[in-house]
Amino acid sequence: MIAQTDIGRQSGSGPASPGAGLRLSGLARAIAGRRILDGIDVTFEAGALSVILGPSGCGKSTLLRLIAGLDAPDGGTIHLGARDLAPLPPAARDIAMVFQSYALFPHLTMAENILFGLSLRRVARVDQARRLARVVEMLGLGGLEARKPAQLSGGQQQRVALARALISERPICLMDEPLSNLDAKLRAEMRSEIRALQQRLGLTMIYVTHDQVEAMTMADKIVLMNEGRIEQEGAPEAIYAAPASRFAARFIGMPPMNLIPGAALGLTGHDAGRLIGLRAEDGRIDPQGLAAPIVAHEFHGADLFVTIRLAETPVMLRLPARTGLPADGILRLGWDAGALHRFDPVTGRRLTEP
Amino acid sequence: MSAGLDALLIRVGAWALALIWLAPLAYAVWTAFHPAAYETHFALLAPITVENFPKAWVQAPFARYFLNTILLVTSILGVQLVVGTLAAFAFARLQFAGKSGLFALVLMQMMVMPDILIVENYQTMRALGLVDTIAGIGLPYMASGFAIFLLRQTFLTIPRELDEAARMEGASLRHLILRVYVPLAKPTYIAFGLVSVSAHWNDFIWPLIVTNSVEARPLTVGLSIFSATDSGVQWSVINAATLMTSAPLLLGFLIFQRQFVQSFLRAGIK
Repeated sequence: MIAQTDIGRQSGSGPASPGAGLRLSGLARAIAGRRILDGIDVTFEAGALSVILGPSGCGKSTLLRLIAGLDAPDGGTIHLGARDLAPLPPAARDIAMVFQSYALFPHLTMAENILFGLSLRRVARVDQARRLARVVEMLGLGGLEARKPAQLSGGQQQRVALARALISERPICLMDEPLSNLDAKLRAEMRSEIRALQQRLGLTMIYVTHDQVEAMTMADKIVLMNEGRIEQEGAPEAIYAAPASRFAARFIGMPPMNLIPGAALGLTGHDAGRLIGLRAEDGRIDPQGLAAPIVAHEFHGADLFVTIRLAETPVMLRLPARTGLPADGILRLGWDAGALHRFDPVTGRRLTEP
Repeated sequence: MSAGLDALLIRVGAWALALIWLAPLAYAVWTAFHPAAYETHFALLAPITVENFPKAWVQAPFARYFLNTILLVTSILGVQLVVGTLAAFAFARLQFAGKSGLFALVLMQMMVMPDILIVENYQTMRALGLVDTIAGIGLPYMASGFAIFLLRQTFLTIPRELDEAARMEGASLRHLILRVYVPLAKPTYIAFGLVSVSAHWNDFIWPLIVTNSVEARPLTVGLSIFSATDSGVQWSVINAATLMTSAPLLLGFLIFQRQFVQSFLRAGIK
């Protein structure tokens, strides 16, 4: 789908310092007395795809709007490289944005939609045509130039919105849940396409989503948010391997990590009073293991998702389907000591000491 | 009541109403295209003539009246749209002190019958020295509360993300209004334009009071003076003149009929 043309940044829009990352510090926002964002400190590295992930209402879209300049923070700063973005209007921030609803102008054709910004900025017609041809080819939109948004499919509208962001050749691209209106198959396709584009163009992309699969598959870095704060940030593998809190443990990974009272696992000492995390794939059948009744099982082809009950706590395991299930309905659960995650039962924070 | 009878009654009622409404127009057309002898004498094979039109045209300065009316309705509509667009945008999308109070005043304007204000308006026009001018007829109507209200409602339905997308691309307020809001509100502009033009084309009492010379009189006033003279003007000539003066509106309605009805449905008013 993606043609091998290069959009690059050679054509003179001259963004400031292409290697500059975006640094937020102490960013806060309250709406009608309610804290939406509370002291956000994070850096989005240049040329990387950072995903802001969180449940709805966690403040991730508000954060994106503050970066875009569509909303003003109540406290804190936003820097692009050494430049303070606070006094700048949205258009002067060298930031492009793709909206959740695509925000295509219904009265304009596809080409006019993509060229909207360039024509406002009075870019020469020859340049407009050249840049249009490039993004249209890059996104496989050829032949649709004269169509109005209503005559395009959802996937095509999504590509037009993307094209409008790319043609500006700004170094930073914000995306607000761009795939949430597409069906599952198209979503998977666009996911890899957007990721490939981002890497090829060296864009700094900040991508907001509530879908942890999108975050895991696309991100260089995940910024996990909950209730207006950053819960954890890091590479997808790092967060998956060592979630910093109960919330991160439950939100990242499918199925979510099992959280079991230590006593129910038969642990002693400090661990008895702790909340123990066990990934579904880290549990195995072990003849010497802990006996637990099987509550339910789901066949997923290669895997079998088995739910057992450990002292009133349902625990989901992911077992190779070929192994089969014990005939008596009792599963003997075993695990490696290193696979356990420990959380404070009160604060929910990860505990590092064994 | 059975559905069949129901439909029949509706159909009969609709036809009856249509015929009653059509009767004066049909009579005007009949007399205008026949010699004066057939004014009250309907004969199917009566000779058809167009002589009444040139007769009417030369008996009064209709060309001047036409010009006056066209200047009047276009200037009113033009100013109404500019003022209405700016005010509606401010009410719909900008934040400023006293916004809701001001909007209440705009709504209040819609509740006051213009005829109540005739004396007050006349005094104002006299103070401004605009009595007996086209500007004097139009000025009281140029800031239309209806236009502001209608456009504000339409602007409010335009998704905020479009607004934001345009601002991300560097659109100034002027660009935003001209390139996003106005084009998207086109049906509302058409609906309001038709209402405004037909209202002011047909307006009679106010222009009659505020004008007293050929130079300022619109068609409606000119026509009434023409037909009220005791000089024995024939009905056939009067009706020819009436048809001439209402023809542009009738034609306009026929041409825009479809768009007219749809615009009103879309604009949410009936």
